Amino acid sequence: MKNKMELKFAATLENESLARSSVSIFIAPLNPTLEEIGEIKTIVSEAVSNAIIHGYNFDDEKYVTLKCELNGNLLSIVVIDYGKGIKDVEEAKTPHYSTRPDLERAGMGMTIMETLSDYFEVVSVYGMGSKIIIKKELQHVDSYEGETI
Amino acid sequence: MENKIRISPFEDGLLIKFSGDLDSSKTLLYRNRIQKEMIKSAPRFLLFDLKDCSFIDSAGIGLILGRFNEIEKVNGACGFLNLSSYARKIIKISGLLSIMKEYQSLGSFKKEMGVIL
Repeated sequence: MKNKMELKFAATLENESLARSSVSIFIAPLNPTLEEIGEIKTIVSEAVSNAIIHGYNFDDEKYVTLKCELNGNLLSIVVIDYGKGIKDVEEAKTPHYSTRPDLERAGMGMTIMETLSDYFEVVSVYGMGSKIIIKKELQHVDSYEGETI
Repeated sequence: MENKIRISPFEDGLLIKFSGDLDSSKTLLYRNRIQKEMIKSAPRFLLFDLKDCSFIDSAGIGLILGRFNEIEKVNGACGFLNLSSYARKIIKISGLLSIMKEYQSLGSFKKEMGVIL
């Protein structure tokens, strides 16, 4: 199965559920398990909330871009913001590290994304923005795949 | 499923049940609700029931961790009930399962904590 989608939305936390629901509908044809759907929704939510909170500092005049691609049972997710960027990506990936401890978000977003995905990359230019690239292999492939019609 | 929180007091603690999505659009409201109850009943124990929780991310983890830190100050303890394999995974990755255990029921939590009836 091959498919692509792109979604652009205002940088507000209300759009987190829009983003994760869209991705779960996008992968629905592959009949993913409930656990896989949950994991993917959590990954999307973490990436999108990073863009909104840290990239744009809740500025809802700005946009977050979410791109998804399905290639067979491999799902690629890219979340882009043109916000402030990350000074030190390795430091940002450290468990419990947060620049906003006041928001009580545990500082575990990067760790959660990295652990739940098969490939995880953060590309960021300080002052220009960040891009999170995630790949995840889904176990449940469309049952019609490979059948001759 | 509707996003909801239900807080029911028991002897020395609070049973906190989340339904639907536990995400950042809800955590501030939930934190206020829980803290209000905590001021009212000064609990030593918090038990989080995630049976009907369909979604959790680091915002939800932060909400639970924040309450754990408050309960630790009064030498209390927190626990989990009804974790799906998905929720357990997120909670485990975040490290919460090393400071809070999972219980089979409210009864077994009370028994282990020695809550006096």
